[in-house]
Amino acid sequence: MFKKNYNPENQPKAWLFLLPSLVIIFLFSVYPLFRSLIMSFQKGTLINQRYAGIENYQKVLTDPVFFKALRNTALFAFTVVPIALILSLAIAWIIFEKVKHKSFFETIFFMPYVTSTIAIGIVFRYFFNGSYGIINYLLSLVGIAPVNWLDNVNMSMTTLIIFGVWTSLAFNIIILLAGMRNIDQEHYKIAKMFGANNWEIFRRITFPQLIPTFAFLLTVNIIAAFKVYTQVYALFGGQPGIAKSATTAVYYIYDKFHIAGRPGIAMAATVILFVIILLVTFVQNKILKKVGE
Amino acid sequence: MKKIVTCLSLLFLGLLAIITVFPFIYMILAGLMTYSEATSIPPTIIPASFQWENYAEVFTKAPFLRYFINTVFVSAVTTIATLITAVLAAFALTSLEFKHKGLVIALMISLLMVPYESIIFTNYNTIARMGLLNTYSALIIPFLTSIFYIYYLNGYLKSISNTFYKAAKIDGASDLAYIRRILIPMSKPALVTVGILTFISSWNSFLWPLLVTNEKKYRLLNNGLAAFTTESGSDVHLQMAAATLTVIPILIIYLIFRKEIIKGVAKDGIKG
Amino acid sequence: MLFLWPDMLANWIGNEKKKTEGQFLIEVVGLKKVFDNKFEALKAVDFTIEKGDLVCLLGPSGCGKSTILNLIAGLLHPTGGDIRFNGSSVVKTEPKDRNIGFVFQNYALYPHMTVLENVMFPLTVGEKKIKKAEAKQIAETYMRLTNIEELSQKKPGTLSGGQQQRVAITRALVQNPEVLLLDEPLSNLDARLRLKIREEIRRLVKEVGITTIFVTHDQEEALSISDKIILMNEGVIQQNDDPQNLYLEPNNQFVAKFIGNPIINMLPVTIKEGQMMHPVFTIPLARFTDIRFKKPVPDGQYTLGIRPENVLTTTQDALFTTQIKSVELIGRERILNFDLADKHVKSIVTIEEIIEEGAEVAFDFQYKKAFIFDDKGERVY
Repeated sequence: MFKKNYNPENQPKAWLFLLPSLVIIFLFSVYPLFRSLIMSFQKGTLINQRYAGIENYQKVLTDPVFFKALRNTALFAFTVVPIALILSLAIAWIIFEKVKHKSFFETIFFMPYVTSTIAIGIVFRYFFNGSYGIINYLLSLVGIAPVNWLDNVNMSMTTLIIFGVWTSLAFNIIILLAGMRNIDQEHYKIAKMFGANNWEIFRRITFPQLIPTFAFLLTVNIIAAFKVYTQVYALFGGQPGIAKSATTAVYYIYDKFHIAGRPGIAMAATVILFVIILLVTFVQNKILKKVGE
Repeated sequence: MKKIVTCLSLLFLGLLAIITVFPFIYMILAGLMTYSEATSIPPTIIPASFQWENYAEVFTKAPFLRYFINTVFVSAVTTIATLITAVLAAFALTSLEFKHKGLVIALMISLLMVPYESIIFTNYNTIARMGLLNTYSALIIPFLTSIFYIYYLNGYLKSISNTFYKAAKIDGASDLAYIRRILIPMSKPALVTVGILTFISSWNSFLWPLLVTNEKKYRLLNNGLAAFTTESGSDVHLQMAAATLTVIPILIIYLIFRKEIIKGVAKDGIKG
Repeated sequence: MLFLWPDMLANWIGNEKKKTEGQFLIEVVGLKKVFDNKFEALKAVDFTIEKGDLVCLLGPSGCGKSTILNLIAGLLHPTGGDIRFNGSSVVKTEPKDRNIGFVFQNYALYPHMTVLENVMFPLTVGEKKIKKAEAKQIAETYMRLTNIEELSQKKPGTLSGGQQQRVAITRALVQNPEVLLLDEPLSNLDARLRLKIREEIRRLVKEVGITTIFVTHDQEEALSISDKIILMNEGVIQQNDDPQNLYLEPNNQFVAKFIGNPIINMLPVTIKEGQMMHPVFTIPLARFTDIRFKKPVPDGQYTLGIRPENVLTTTQDALFTTQIKSVELIGRERILNFDLADKHVKSIVTIEEIIEEGAEVAFDFQYKKAFIFDDKGERVY
């Protein structure tokens, strides 16, 4: 019997298994985090960096373009998320309660999630076309004049929001359906025995049990909404809307980094965006806790 | 009253289902129309005859075949690499005990919350400094692993009793033998989900390839599509054909594996 | 001198053999285990196990019995102390090199493999792995031994609890280990099956001749099949003895209460001036057998332990008379329940003694089989 130095409660060989992942994680997740932070305090181009204190932050916070971007982003987030969630809830509820072939509808509603946003964006861009787009055609069938969805500075955000809602439904519906399936069927049987009608069942059994799921979705959706970029790119052909009317925070950052060549400012804006997202998530969680009680 | 509500609900559902599916259907159809059909007012729903030449045109106007091959290659390599690294890491986290294990897990959880957009630019820097811009490596290396899927597999493996590992150890199996002959067969559903979801998200990636590749040689489908759309200006019918090219492979995978995909996403959502 | 080297060699081999033959197979020395949450599961435990014995680690939940088993197997790391197989410490050796087989409480049969593949598995992994054809033969030999041959192509999910257990045991034996470890092997089976299978386990391990250690909380199970029982409580060995001794000569109050069904009657008494006094009866100490006193018994508080079968009905020289509260009929015995100074007492009599609820019955004790415990629970008589 040969001996080694074996200890079932402390096996350093575990690090070997973790090594490949940890290397990548450190290089591309941990290091960038710190580097971004440091860069946000430096000015100049990528090659030529000098310490700049909080100069970048001041520049960003006094930049009207940044505020416009932020305003658009916030508008997008606070419109799309609630609308999408309520619609998703309605759809999920109807599928769950009133439909026999649930998986058929699940398959349909989940399609947008797996397909490329760019491709779909291009399709929507085609739909929203002022002259030959199908949307204006359908509107004309009910007597509404054609709308300039894509080339009107005032319409850009609206168009973006509509597209945003369409793409957000998929994930929400699936998660809500899973959440509904998790609710113990016993509750429903008992409620029906007491003669509760559908609305009552929803309000007092389904919805309360869905609150954690709802909270999760709210958080995930808001975070994703604040980072919106690809949808804008797709819908407006690479531009942040006509005359930059749909500029978002990430657009601002990308612009400062790649086009203006001011990585320090871009990083400062990134940090600010990150902080805003944290704050919003934090506040929203607090509110939801209150609602839960 | 109840009947009316049910009727209205189903109508509402049907309407929204159509709104969800319609873009896909129309995209495929429009890709087979002529330019005038695609831009006609009122819009044409079904083309007079299927213009398969659109696809030929797309392939000549832009190297879509190249984009397609690139995307398949990058997605496949990323998926396999992620599966391997995630399985090894998740194994270590669930079955082995070691010092600072809690630290590693805490690190991963906190990193999960970091938005990818805030590190993407620094990563561009890193790749640039390594001299890897416009290479396949640039597209693959940062995605050789995924914290999210390590965490996901970790959760899944935890639900499989750890007694199997203990039994295998006493039976005399090495760690790799255990992983190969017991762990992997027992977690097939989760691995299929991770594999498919990784492949799909790699296929649909946009921002990162946009940053690190601008040579047509290395472009991925999504970026190729975006570039083509800008370049081809008003050739909507061609754009729709190109979009179909990008979407159809994923749709096929989706329709075949929809159960695994939906289950995988739902499971993660509930945990969250 | 030189031509004598074969003899010297033979002598030396003979001596080496003698060295290992006299030794214990497993020695546990000062074994301690404290978990991360500061819970002290084992407080310096010592025992030895002889080759070929069937030993039971018995005790209530949390007493440390499973901890010991896991430490012997190498699935846990001791905080202190040593574990030796054949004289050599194994604490730093991996489980696969310890030459053991382990049967888990939930069997841990690999669900995606057939029974045959499960049993073959240990033979096809590790440094000593052998060709598939050979492994199959060996596996089938053992499967014949445990009577599971017809289950060979089935998957574990389709088997009953008893069948799964037999597969688990077969898999544990297939590498011909020196020690077989079983963690609560019968607790997932129903009562009838438990009786049948514990006998099978004993027969099997004795036939194969393998040293076996099994963990259980069921004292009846332990009593019926073990050669030796190590009874534990709160990380400390209470008694390490053969089953009959545990029953007839418990070391302390815990052992007396844990072993035996129905549970022993424990009556608080006071000893003063040569008399054992209880609210209902008084016993002069002279009635107790002199030689059975293990220590001097000064005046003070004690507990009188008397098993139900030693609480006898009597027609003359009654110690006390009391009213029967209830009667339980269990096949061949009658259990009489009554109260003595608010303490519930049981007496077992044969079924032929017709005694009904409410009857006034006279009792006496079998003094030479009684136990007396001091106020620390130690046995003094």
